[in-house]
Amino acid sequence: MGLLQNVIFGLVTGSYIAIAAIGFTLIYGIVNMINFAYGEYLTVGAFVGLLTAVTLPLPLPVAVLVAMVGGGVASLVLARLFFTPINHTGPVPMLLTSIGLGIALRNLIRLAAGRNARYFDTETATFRLTGVPDVPVGPFDLLGDFFVTSEHLVVVGCAVAVFLLLHGLLTRTDVGIAMRAMGDDEDLARVRGVDTQWIRDSVWVLAGVLAGLAGVLIAIQTNVSAGTGYSHILQILAAAILGGAGSPYGAIAGSYIIGLVLSLSTAFLPGGMAELSSAMAFLILVVVLLVKPSGLAAREVREA
Amino acid sequence: MSVADRLPLGDVEGNGALVLGAVCVLLAAVFALTPLVVSLPGSLYVFFEVGILFALYGVLVLGLDLQYGHTGLVNFGHVAFFAVGAYAVAMLSAQDSFAGVSLGLPWPVALLGGVVVAALLGAAVGATSIRLRDDFLAVATLATAEIVHSLFVSFEGIFGGNVGIGGVPQPVSDLAGDADTAMLATLLLFGGVTLVTLAAVTRLTEAPYGRVLRAIRADELVTRSVGKSVITYKMQSFVYGAALAGLAGGLFALYTGAVAPGYFTIQVTVTVWIGMLLGGAANHRGVLAGLAVIMGLRLLSRFALGVTPISADAFASVRLVVVGLILVAVIRYRPAGIWGDAEELGVDT
Repeated sequence: MGLLQNVIFGLVTGSYIAIAAIGFTLIYGIVNMINFAYGEYLTVGAFVGLLTAVTLPLPLPVAVLVAMVGGGVASLVLARLFFTPINHTGPVPMLLTSIGLGIALRNLIRLAAGRNARYFDTETATFRLTGVPDVPVGPFDLLGDFFVTSEHLVVVGCAVAVFLLLHGLLTRTDVGIAMRAMGDDEDLARVRGVDTQWIRDSVWVLAGVLAGLAGVLIAIQTNVSAGTGYSHILQILAAAILGGAGSPYGAIAGSYIIGLVLSLSTAFLPGGMAELSSAMAFLILVVVLLVKPSGLAAREVREA
Repeated sequence: MSVADRLPLGDVEGNGALVLGAVCVLLAAVFALTPLVVSLPGSLYVFFEVGILFALYGVLVLGLDLQYGHTGLVNFGHVAFFAVGAYAVAMLSAQDSFAGVSLGLPWPVALLGGVVVAALLGAAVGATSIRLRDDFLAVATLATAEIVHSLFVSFEGIFGGNVGIGGVPQPVSDLAGDADTAMLATLLLFGGVTLVTLAAVTRLTEAPYGRVLRAIRADELVTRSVGKSVITYKMQSFVYGAALAGLAGGLFALYTGAVAPGYFTIQVTVTVWIGMLLGGAANHRGVLAGLAVIMGLRLLSRFALGVTPISADAFASVRLVVVGLILVAVIRYRPAGIWGDAEELGVDT
């Protein structure tokens, strides 16, 4: 498999990590917590999408929308039940709560859905656009042959749409501007008349919607099982911290770096070492925390 | 002033644990070294198995409590040090393993090696991450544990991949007359080690040294302003905890005779964390009691499995749902734990 093919895979992986990482980093920036259960929100979205598209069955675009709504609702309900009541206790109890919640959610899903991976039947869901198989690139032997599937296009397209909408939200709407104000200085925002609880709830919904979308895209691109969220949370975390926790634009950049590293390291690692490609992501995370603990963009994470 | 002068010797709690621990180790030696044999009823095996695991996790939780309960260091990758200790002992002492590296050195050398390697990993993680904000330290340590886990799985030629390393000597089993006696001797020996560890950490934290650690947890800035090198104390506390985890891991390897990545998952970290939070961080006997509660649940669920109609697989999921919700509930309703001091820990109840 050629280098260019791995770059394409890296961009696709980076795209769905980015969609999720934006939600994750908004929660960090505004609620001031690392939400370890966030990976499970992806799984919830993926299964909601799967139920809609395969069990009902409704057309895939409808399923994607339902997954986003499901993710948003789940996120808000879980926040109200578990996180808002302990908001005042500081980052560590919040993190530990999210770890406990993540374990409970993951196993609830496993109880309901079983251990096996589930797939979208993309053929019957009338979703496959046109297969674009093996486009040869001619003399560039180094790059090799590559192909782009319709799933790839959908994932990258959704990511670009999310980036544009997010940029519009954060710069042109009252809610978005209030979110940025709260991320900078919550007390100041409150003094200036921002309804902080309402903004927090909006962030929970937005993050859940993004997680639902990312989850359903992962399910379309590969498959989904109860462990899907957990297997992605550390990549999302690495991307968000690499980009500077709390910074949505940083999270996008961090996600593509992580996606490319994961994909390219798979290409260069010998067979049987696939596990190591995820270790690469965490290694980057630890190295970033070591040399530039506030990430590529702002926000201080060191105290001493 | 030597170190011994700084440690209070009149402390009853620590001394009691030390004496009891020594008695346990002696009893274990009696069962292991003499031709004396016992036979245990089969129905009690499960208690012995969980008891042995409890003793090992007890050492883990005491180390973790030194880091979090006393110093405020949020180590969510504790299993990494446990695993590294176990793997180091296995690689150094195993003979004719079917996979991975096995050097066949004497087991006491290997056990020492395991403790040293875990302490070194602790020093490395501490040096890179200990300055991070609490929740980021948790993330960095958790990522470390995942890296360690994936290294064990990936490098089959060295660590034996998913199969792990077998052929680790089992000194207690080799010495004891039969399997039942070995089990009793192992439980007594490991229980003794846990009690001696309890005595040691109690001495350490009752001393002025422990007060500095708790001062760091309460207010780092104030501690630094009175001239204490906060980073040095944090590093020491982190390395002690890692070394204790390495010891527990090494004993685990010498008990099971084999190591594999499946023994060292995030579940281990979660179990000791819940035990610590449930019992009440910064209270040594409290964290052991909390661990006993959470591991008692494990025991209870084994019996419950026999009388419920659902499959073992589904039951495992149910148990983990309960475990996750216990963690959530403890933080919300008993943030200082059952035996913890809410005022000292600075939490709202």
